[in-house]
Amino acid sequence: MAEPKDKAKIKEAVKRKKREVYTPVKPDMQLGFIHNNVDCIGCRACEMACKDKNGLPPGPRFRRVMYVEGGTYPDVYAYKVNMSCNHCAEPACLPTCPTGAIYKRQKDGIVDIDSSLCIGCRRCEAACPFGAPQYIPEQNIVSKCNMCVDEIDAGRKPYCVMGCMMRVLDIGPIDQLLNGTHETKARGPNDQVVRQVKNMADPALTNPSIVFVPHSKGAVKNDG
Amino acid sequence: MLERTQAEWDRELLLSAGLNPDRRDVLKAGAGAAAVATLGLGPILPSKEVQAFAYEPYPRDDQLTTVVTSCAHNCGSRHALVAHKKGDVIVRLSADDGRYQEGGEYGKDTEEEPQVRACLRGRSYRSRLYSPERLLYPMKRVGKRGEGKFKRVSWDEALTDIAERMVYLKGKYGPTALLDQSYAGASYGVLHKSDQIEGLLGRFLGMFGCRTSSWSVPSYQGTTFSSRMTFGTIQDGNEDDTFAHTKLMIMWGWNPAYTFHGGNTFYYMRLAKQRGCKFVCVDPQYTDSAAAYDAWWIPIKPNTDAAMMAGMAHYILANNLHDQEFINKFVLGMDAGTMPDWAKDRENFKDYIFGKYDGQPKTPEWAEPICGVKAEDIKKLADMYATTKPAALKASWSPGRNAYGEQYNRMAAALQAMTGNIGVLGGCAEGVGKAWHAEGTAYPYDEFANVWYASLKSDRWAHCVLNYPNVSREELGLWPRDDQLDGQPPNIRGIFWQGSDWLNQLTNINKEIKALRKLEAEGEKESLLVCMDSTITPTGIWADYLLPIATHFERHDVALPWYKGHYYIHRPKVIEPLGESKTDFQVFTELAFRLGFGEKYNPRAARNYFERNDETDEAYLLAWWTNRVQHHQGVTMSWNDFKNYGIYKFKLDRPHVAFQDNVEKGVPWSTPSGKIEIFSQQLARITDWKRTSYGYEIPAIPKWIEPWESLNATDKTATHPFHVISPHPRHRTHSIFNNIPWLRETYEQEVTINASDAKKLGVKTGDTVEVFNDRGSCVVPVYVTERCMPGVLVLHEGSWMDLDGKGRDLSGNPDFLTLDNPSPAGAFAYNTVLANIRKTDAEHRPGWDRLATSRSHVFRRDL
Repeated sequence: MAEPKDKAKIKEAVKRKKREVYTPVKPDMQLGFIHNNVDCIGCRACEMACKDKNGLPPGPRFRRVMYVEGGTYPDVYAYKVNMSCNHCAEPACLPTCPTGAIYKRQKDGIVDIDSSLCIGCRRCEAACPFGAPQYIPEQNIVSKCNMCVDEIDAGRKPYCVMGCMMRVLDIGPIDQLLNGTHETKARGPNDQVVRQVKNMADPALTNPSIVFVPHSKGAVKNDG
Repeated sequence: MLERTQAEWDRELLLSAGLNPDRRDVLKAGAGAAAVATLGLGPILPSKEVQAFAYEPYPRDDQLTTVVTSCAHNCGSRHALVAHKKGDVIVRLSADDGRYQEGGEYGKDTEEEPQVRACLRGRSYRSRLYSPERLLYPMKRVGKRGEGKFKRVSWDEALTDIAERMVYLKGKYGPTALLDQSYAGASYGVLHKSDQIEGLLGRFLGMFGCRTSSWSVPSYQGTTFSSRMTFGTIQDGNEDDTFAHTKLMIMWGWNPAYTFHGGNTFYYMRLAKQRGCKFVCVDPQYTDSAAAYDAWWIPIKPNTDAAMMAGMAHYILANNLHDQEFINKFVLGMDAGTMPDWAKDRENFKDYIFGKYDGQPKTPEWAEPICGVKAEDIKKLADMYATTKPAALKASWSPGRNAYGEQYNRMAAALQAMTGNIGVLGGCAEGVGKAWHAEGTAYPYDEFANVWYASLKSDRWAHCVLNYPNVSREELGLWPRDDQLDGQPPNIRGIFWQGSDWLNQLTNINKEIKALRKLEAEGEKESLLVCMDSTITPTGIWADYLLPIATHFERHDVALPWYKGHYYIHRPKVIEPLGESKTDFQVFTELAFRLGFGEKYNPRAARNYFERNDETDEAYLLAWWTNRVQHHQGVTMSWNDFKNYGIYKFKLDRPHVAFQDNVEKGVPWSTPSGKIEIFSQQLARITDWKRTSYGYEIPAIPKWIEPWESLNATDKTATHPFHVISPHPRHRTHSIFNNIPWLRETYEQEVTINASDAKKLGVKTGDTVEVFNDRGSCVVPVYVTERCMPGVLVLHEGSWMDLDGKGRDLSGNPDFLTLDNPSPAGAFAYNTVLANIRKTDAEHRPGWDRLATSRSHVFRRDL
């Protein structure tokens, strides 16, 4: 094992790097996702809804339900972590884009890629710690979840949320989702939410707009 | 509305653009150059005017035509799909969002009237509708059977040939020559239905006077038998919303995270969990249901469920935890005191459990080595079940798909009865589990429905063909008749597959192929294989004629939940049928006209129904709505209003609980005694088993009977040490959707094996193996996990067979391993299979196309 890292030092470095590159958009209100890792049955109706909505070929998956399992027979556990694009407060993808195709909406903080500017260099794909940007070889572009902005602008919720059979996936203002003031079926009456679950990149990197109801085996200690 | 929102948003952006003039993303998102200029941004002009949505041109939902419809397949569920179309093309699908019923609004999703959201299979429908596998024209075989060589022919040629051959075969081989293998693959609507009993094909062949029917249901015949014998009905189910009210839910071989199970069952169970319900999962696998409901997992050896239940019954009865009052009032044959007078000397259940008849008390300690479940756990579960009120023992179908599977379901009913968990909210008597009764048929359902001249256990047809005429009635499970055809094996010369992929889905595929080869050897004109479906299927490859059938998006119908949920969904013709496809009702009507009974078969149809069906179909549906839904079910909404809303959700006076009136108001059960018959009088009175459809003896009380293959059969496990189970997959409905790339990239056909077994074999996740036994072999990748019981292999049913020329199936279809030996009650023994496994260099082919995408990964992460 390497020596324990100086977290404060890393934070400072990240901050400096960001300052040097661009001024982050501070949206009027940041929309984000909430996902219940435990109650999710992993059915992937959200994924199918997303594929259909966005007309995607096999391959690119804007939304990805990840199956996590562990333990030793017969003491086992399993849970799901469901992510698309986290529409980060400080998106790592955005400054990497050589054509400036990636932008963040002022209104609600949705991050999107203007496909007419995308040259398919895939730098954003490498930069994202959550695997959100998806390369579409047929069109030589990178594309990703835009939270169904057309639906948001029409006053509705994204297809994945409206497709969730278990009602464990939802959107809302991320600060309210985090402090529990936003009414949502994704969070049960006794559930607490966290910003990070195991094996997920440190939220300090990009400040992702997503919270989880974690599985007991997926909880991260000292979650900020 | 949309434009105003857009304009407002643009204004906001412009405002912020003034504050941060050098931010490119905002600039791009800003409106046109003129607007920018007014803010004094000088010469920096955006390279392109960008709207809120990046992918222009992109038709938004509100710019498309919205049509409410539903999914259609034989999964036990039925959910809303909302088609958004432009012209005659469906651009995308969404699901119920609360708007499409009376009093609905966007987002309405209450416990009383929840949204009926489609699952992943339903959501992928567009991909199936427009798939390259769609059949668009009638096709006639030009190569050998199974070679897959066809040429396009006209409808007239195909139907002329088929009608001629039908007449010839009926004349030469008699009224049993044509085998009805329709099943619920193509159609489950009130008007267009493929089904053995209520289906269009059965009525067509019955009227033609030549039909052998297939009476056993592959999914749940053991359960059906149990429910009929015990409760006198298969409507022993509670509606989905009752599942929110239980305190203990025992999911016995039940995985609603995969099957969804109708209505909102899975969601109501989440509500139950939030309200403190405890969950238990008795299953060889730690399923996603076990995980999501945080269940206590009790791994059990496949096909030993009845033994564990007997052990539970022993514990409950021995410790006086049973509800004797309930037993005395409602149950027949639970103990000596509740035996009918005429059968006082016959075996009763309690004395059987205590070992009075065979000297072997069925204690938890006795069950332990049989089931591989510790006696302590059996006792603990029995205690929980007997003392938690109300408690639901949900005895699902899959452990019944076994040798003597009916005994498992009968044993479960005994436990449900002795604890008094029947007829109470939060309890469970399932079983088959059909609950709320829908009005199911809009086409003529009369004396010609389900007419047959021979009826056999569905997976015995190949055995019949191969051994005809030297085959006994009990081997085939022939249903008795009152005429000279009684007990005569059918002389099968033709098969109609309507919405059925049965060659791929019944047991022992190699034997089925042999039977088809035998028919072929008798000469080209001496048999007939017709496949009617909307896509090519593994069964269709073997057909003489492929008839393209319009999907449910291309015809007018009403969808009903056949399992759970209380609603109707209107299913208009969303688009015109692709290619030359026709509805199956059109095809049968046209054939009937050509054979001389068209007017009788389809009384509302004109002679040109084959070209024009809209008015006739509308007339059938209107009559159904008026006479059945409005008249029988008391619905006041008009047919036109229903069509405008799209969904009609019933509001029930109280949650529908099976047998509530029997328990609360003393209504008798539909059994001979009017009671819950743990001792079945009907079975007890049978003396000549050969003359029954069962063929072989079935005990009058539930009993543990050793299956012919299991991990306890040490003579067989020496060479075939693994027990294969083949549950329903999540990413297919049986074999339907196997060809959908979207679904195939989310799951993979794979054989699940416990990590310790994998270690012994030296295989790891992703390795390709051959799973084999004496009946066949299939090639499939391995998924190594701790979530599976050692000694058990899990291989999901329904992958499209893909033979390699050496007798191996490269798709990993478990029915190359299963045995076509149904249980006496007719249960398919899909899960009674021993096999072995070895590494192979052969290439697994997950589908007939080549899909170059990675599978989704399962992460094992303990760290």
